[in-house]
Amino acid sequence: MAYVYIPVQNSEEEVRVALDQLPRDATDILDILKAEQAPLDLWLIIAREYFKQGKIEQFRQILEEGSSPEIDEYYADVRYERIAILNALGAYYSYLGKIETKQREKEDYFIQATKYYNKASRIDMHEPSTWIGKGQLLLAKGDVEQAFNAFKIVLDGDRDNVPALLGQACVHFSRGRYSDALELYKLDPENVEALVALGISDLQINEAAFIQSGMEKMHKAFEIYPYCATPLNYLANHFFFTGQHFLVEQLTETALAVTMHGPTKAHSYYNLARSYHSKGDYEKAGMYYMASVKESNRPHEFVLPYYGLGQVQLKLGDLRSALTNFEKVLEVQPENCDTLKALGHIYVQLDQNEKAKNYLKKATKIDPRDPQAFLDLGDLLISTDIGAALDAFKTARNLLKRANEEVPLDLLNNIGALHFERGEFELAGETFKEALGEGIWCNLFGAEGESFPHMPQTNAEGEAPGHEARESQNRRVQTNLINSAQYPVDVNSSIHQYKDLQLFHRLEEQGLSVELPWNKVSTLFNLARVFEQMHQTESASILYRLILFKYPEYTDAYLRLAAIAKARNNVQISLELIGDALKVDEKCADALLMLGDLELKNDDWVKAKETFRAAKDSTDEKDSYAAVCLGNWNYFAANRNEKRAPKLEATHYEKAKELYTKVLLQQSANLYAANGAGMVFAERGQFDIAKDLFTQVQEAASGSSDVQMPDVWINLAHVHFAQGNFALAVKMYQNCLRKFYHNTDSQVLLYLARTHYEAEQWQDCKKTLLRAIHLAPSNYTLRFDVGVTLQKFSASTLQKTKRTVDEVRDTVAELKNAVRVFSLLSAASNLQFHGFDEKKIETHVAYCKHLLEAATVHCELAEREERQNMQRLEVMRQMELADESRRKAEEQRKYQMEKRKQEDELKQVMQQEKHLERIKEQWKSSSSGKRKDKPQTEDDEGGVSERRRRRGGKRRKKDKRSRYESEEAEAEGEDQEEAEYDDTNMGYREQYNDANDNEDKEGDIPQDVLAATGLEDSDAEDNAAAPSNANRRRRAWSESDEDEEPFQRQPEADHGTDMQQESDGEGNAAGAGAADDEE
Amino acid sequence: MKLAPLNTVQNAHDDSVWTAAWVPATEVSPPLLLTGSLDETVRLWNPEGPEKVQTNTGHCLGVVSVAAHPSGRIAASASIDSFIRVFDVATNNTIATLEAPPSEVWQLQFNPQGTTLAAAGGGSASVKLWDTAEWKLIAALEVPRPEGLKPSEKSGSKKFALSVAWSPDGRQIACGSMDGTISVFDVPRGKFMHHLEGHCLPVRSLVYSSAPLDSRVLFSASDDGHVHVYDAERKTLITSMSGHSSWVLSVDVSPDGAAIATGSSDKTVRLWDLKMRAATQILTSHNDQVWAVAFGPPLRTDVRSCLLASVSDDKSVSFYKYS
Repeated sequence: MAYVYIPVQNSEEEVRVALDQLPRDATDILDILKAEQAPLDLWLIIAREYFKQGKIEQFRQILEEGSSPEIDEYYADVRYERIAILNALGAYYSYLGKIETKQREKEDYFIQATKYYNKASRIDMHEPSTWIGKGQLLLAKGDVEQAFNAFKIVLDGDRDNVPALLGQACVHFSRGRYSDALELYKLDPENVEALVALGISDLQINEAAFIQSGMEKMHKAFEIYPYCATPLNYLANHFFFTGQHFLVEQLTETALAVTMHGPTKAHSYYNLARSYHSKGDYEKAGMYYMASVKESNRPHEFVLPYYGLGQVQLKLGDLRSALTNFEKVLEVQPENCDTLKALGHIYVQLDQNEKAKNYLKKATKIDPRDPQAFLDLGDLLISTDIGAALDAFKTARNLLKRANEEVPLDLLNNIGALHFERGEFELAGETFKEALGEGIWCNLFGAEGESFPHMPQTNAEGEAPGHEARESQNRRVQTNLINSAQYPVDVNSSIHQYKDLQLFHRLEEQGLSVELPWNKVSTLFNLARVFEQMHQTESASILYRLILFKYPEYTDAYLRLAAIAKARNNVQISLELIGDALKVDEKCADALLMLGDLELKNDDWVKAKETFRAAKDSTDEKDSYAAVCLGNWNYFAANRNEKRAPKLEATHYEKAKELYTKVLLQQSANLYAANGAGMVFAERGQFDIAKDLFTQVQEAASGSSDVQMPDVWINLAHVHFAQGNFALAVKMYQNCLRKFYHNTDSQVLLYLARTHYEAEQWQDCKKTLLRAIHLAPSNYTLRFDVGVTLQKFSASTLQKTKRTVDEVRDTVAELKNAVRVFSLLSAASNLQFHGFDEKKIETHVAYCKHLLEAATVHCELAEREERQNMQRLEVMRQMELADESRRKAEEQRKYQMEKRKQEDELKQVMQQEKHLERIKEQWKSSSSGKRKDKPQTEDDEGGVSERRRRRGGKRRKKDKRSRYESEEAEAEGEDQEEAEYDDTNMGYREQYNDANDNEDKEGDIPQDVLAATGLEDSDAEDNAAAPSNANRRRRAWSESDEDEEPFQRQPEADHGTDMQQESDGEGNAAGAGAADDEE
Repeated sequence: MKLAPLNTVQNAHDDSVWTAAWVPATEVSPPLLLTGSLDETVRLWNPEGPEKVQTNTGHCLGVVSVAAHPSGRIAASASIDSFIRVFDVATNNTIATLEAPPSEVWQLQFNPQGTTLAAAGGGSASVKLWDTAEWKLIAALEVPRPEGLKPSEKSGSKKFALSVAWSPDGRQIACGSMDGTISVFDVPRGKFMHHLEGHCLPVRSLVYSSAPLDSRVLFSASDDGHVHVYDAERKTLITSMSGHSSWVLSVDVSPDGAAIATGSSDKTVRLWDLKMRAATQILTSHNDQVWAVAFGPPLRTDVRSCLLASVSDDKSVSFYKYS
């Protein structure tokens, strides 16, 4: 403990004052000092002690008292002490001026300081310490030259005056002449300040060697005097970088204890904060940063704690405060990349992407070599601008590569994923492969095998394998191992191939290590997705299986395999795989949705609905996909109902609409829900609204590359069709077919055919249907439709008032085709290939034959007209005909005898048909049918109800139903009551609705439905004309003329609906073709 | 191994071309290509030029298959109306008109010995065989219903016979159906042998390998976009090759047995190296579905190369040189 002893005046006693127990009120001490007339150096000691203890007020009080005029008078001869007091005050004020920011007060302090120094000078002009003080003051004022002079005066008197030298060094230092400064500092190796200054000047040079020597000096200064804050801070700083956090804390705490100087304290707090920060103690770090900021409070002088504070606040989630601090940093250093990045990061979290983007872009512009900035920018842009994000990521990758740094897997994965989204599958694949590096998978997708087990080597070049060849040989051996582990597969298990994980066991048995690090799994999955997109399904499947082999919990891999199996129509395996996924996670929404989809495909309606519900529940109703699926379900259910209860239908539509609307409210851009809503509108006949909706959806869908929505095209086409815009509908169907289906979808072709039919473009209709048959050979409905089209074409041609001979000939040919088509269907019906009613088809056969007969009459008539123009030719022809006739007549007469009975029956049929036609005419005229040749139901059904949806893999199959139905009804000419007729239509409707529900079974029309139509009296036609058709055909090929042969005519009046007027009154109708067909 | 495009006949037909087959050369005629189309005609092409040699009419409702007798003198064509017309290649005289009601007729194929014509019989789920001497129907090889079939399932259209192929020795027939199964028959004994499973969508084209040691190897093309390679006798799947982005409509094997060519709805023709088990070349000369690809006989000038023809919905016929 330090004491000062104040001698008591006129005695030997002394008053002992403990320096560390100075009274808070300096007046007490002053009273003693004055009373005892203590020597001035004691005053100074006490004042200094107060200063050390931070009691500035008391310090000043004592010194001011000590420099008052009374003291001057009383101690007039004590010069040195008086000067010292004045100098101390001067130094104090010059310090105050130095740290004061406000210009006026700063000057005031300097004036005060100047005043004291001048007073000191008046006492003794030559006192060096005064000059040093003055020099310091001038330095503080920035007047370097004057300061230099002041120090020089001292040095002129005493060349080794240390403070003066230090001051001089300072001057040099400010002038940037470090070496001069060094020279001067070196004079006093034990002087702490000198060491510190030297240290700083070393550190300023910023080279490794100097930094080291700087730190050494700091260390030395610390050892000499451990309570000087500056070296403490520097040392702390040093230990921070060397990672000795314990030392940092100790040093800075000491530094804090010994200094009052704001900036220094700020520095200390900063060091402390930084230490905690790096240790992850963000609470404490934040506190100290805050203290540091408070201490200096001027970002321009010491910006680092603001940055640290921002970082900590960011870590602690206080985004707003962090934002403020980083922005302060940015004010000081507008080009600070880290701050820009941090700000970008914060704005991303605050969902202000635009601002974030600007900051990050600026950061990348300022430092175009900072991969991190590009990474952040890329991350930010992913959701908004794929192209720009990709560019940013690529730049980051290139930067890393150039710096020979390892490109992180995530970055490559992101680049690949973005390529994938842009549809650049090749690039995506390459990137993923790069990300994956070497591994077992290389052999899996490099699946270039050696020859098949049985394939002979045709490559006879036999060159010696070079080095590379040997390497690839190695690879090939492994690949072969894999191939031989995979193949051959027994065909009975080949459909289970997508579930086979044994392959990898076999590989392991053969000594191949099957490894897959977890961090590469998602990249491998992505690569498999690329393979899928590039239709390298086998490679994709094996990669998915590899994932499952190692990580059987990876449900997505199950689902992709299930999707592959589903695409290949392997429903069973697909279901099993989804089951596997659900075993892992029974609430997996994706699996449930896929399951529901498959259930719909399998016609498990109730199950499907439950599954969709479960999916919806498992996602807390957040998944709009599940809601859309349920909406679709309701939509289909409305159409599907067998009894066609209008009430139920309305409920289902309402429910569907509700679901779609709900989704749309949450996500106004959900194309699928909008499409669904459009369907409901169309279903209710609000075509214009529906059209608007569909058009918008279509535009949106064509705008993005990853949305494939053929349904909306079809729906739009349906609306055009329903509104009678056939040309537009045709175009739309065709575009859709080309764009989405590789022209392979027979269902869309059927829609197209229906449109042609409605537009009465018979040839187009026929060709379209033939294409559909070619694509879907087992769909017998299409054949039936062809027959009806041919029949309709013929009937309509014959109805025309003007027609050329060629037209009539075509008609005859097409009628023959129709008869052939119907006959074949009829013959096939007893083999149960399809669900048509035999009798029904017979009716068609009969009707077509009848038409054919009439057509031949027309043909004759038309040709006769032509004959008038070309009489000579005609005469020759007649002669030939006559010859031919005679030959044929004999045959025909015989035949006719046998068939007389049958014909009578046919006659009866035709009478009934006529009757029906009359009733129908009445009925038609009473209704408001749009087109006169089809029954009312058609307007309701044919056009409107054909919307389809495909999301969820389900599409509504409504064949052209009523269209043909009506034709059939017309063609049949059955004697049915009006009510029965309605039943017929109803029967069809149900039947089509059935067919709607299973995509695969387009042709499978339940047989019994048509039975309901009843056709008791067409027995005459029961024995199909198949064998004779062959004859006919043969004749046709050998260019026979017998068509012209006269033949006993049928009683025309009894027949026919369309034909009546034309046929009536024909004298001798003839037609060998008809005769043939009658057989 | 490479395909070099030679030339393409645009508008070779008035409508989609659906089928093609090479007619082997005779003493009087070079190898010719036979094509059939939706336009109801069958046309004959000389690849030199190429020029049209002949247009045969007489079919109704689209020609779905053509086949040539190994002698090169006779050929057959079939259309949707289920008639087969057998005709003399040189004169176009009709030799026979065949039908097997109620079955339709899809793919036609003469056996390599030229004694029998086989036709995939569609809904009758059978392969019909006619002898080529008297053109009599001699057998119908029925595809048995698969075991364990649920009674509710309407199997009729499932086993719908679509494609047919003869083994090189003429003792086996493979028949592809709509449900993707392939049925293998022992022809001399008229017996069904077994199914080859693996596809679940229609198998529209089948071909046995032509390499001498691989006569059991069968290639199948399916709507599932895959080409399977089976060992038809051992009932094993040798490999499965994917790459087409839509249905594979046609497959044919090169005379040297080292490559196959496929045509697809994705508009491409692909050449597959069987050693690599991968597509080595993708040709895009067509702009619509490629319905048929057919390797021709080896060239006279260069025995190691031969012609390949492809026909498409775009009405064109293309020729390539395979070497």
